[in-house]
Amino acid sequence: MKKFVMFHARECPHCRKMMPLVDRLEKEEGIVFEKLEIWHDEKNADLMRSYKSVLAPPCGGQLRTPTFFNTETNKAICGEMPYEALKDWAQR
Amino acid sequence: MKKYWRCFVCNDIHYGLKPPELCPTCKVTNAYVEISEAEARRMMAVPAEGAAAFDRRKFLDAVRTFTVPNEFQVNPDTERVDTLLDGLTANESRYGLRYCPCRLITKDFAEDSKLVCPCNFLVHETYKGVARGECWCGLFVRRS
Repeated sequence: MKKFVMFHARECPHCRKMMPLVDRLEKEEGIVFEKLEIWHDEKNADLMRSYKSVLAPPCGGQLRTPTFFNTETNKAICGEMPYEALKDWAQR
Repeated sequence: MKKYWRCFVCNDIHYGLKPPELCPTCKVTNAYVEISEAEARRMMAVPAEGAAAFDRRKFLDAVRTFTVPNEFQVNPDTERVDTLLDGLTANESRYGLRYCPCRLITKDFAEDSKLVCPCNFLVHETYKGVARGECWCGLFVRRS
């Protein structure tokens, strides 16, 4: 089963916009994201840093939020996107 | 009165009455933003004498002034700006520098200095060559 992580930040406007879309995706498609806040939880921050070699290349070489990560395929995307784009990525 | 100024592109620090029009280090024009003495000391790895609280209004005034001669402006979406200022406040309080709320520090100071707001967003794929471009977090947007 695919496992998805959403790295997000409390004061990140992109994350605030994407959160309802993630909730909808979970509800409509049964996909579950583990949502990890990274600026106020050092454990989550360290986890995100530990995946830097995978998460940074598709995100401008940096650890950006929100980042969506498929731990099974090691694929990641980041930033704001339409619902369908997130859904396509998750179901790929 | 002399003030501290930082080049948003290369983090060059200038102390003077006004910001240099041309950054002597990276040669970018109109790149300096006013910063506090505490931030200047931190950027130069000199211990600050007493912690200074992040002044949101002063920061906003400084970045608005900084944008005037440039092709970008502070995002007119005040709700977004407020959210970002919350994050900048939290990060300055915790780390002593205004790290971008939408990116995570790596704990490598040289690399993380590129995340201090305002950062060099001219190279961000969300801004460079984009008609309605904005920095990654959206604090700065290209003038329409």
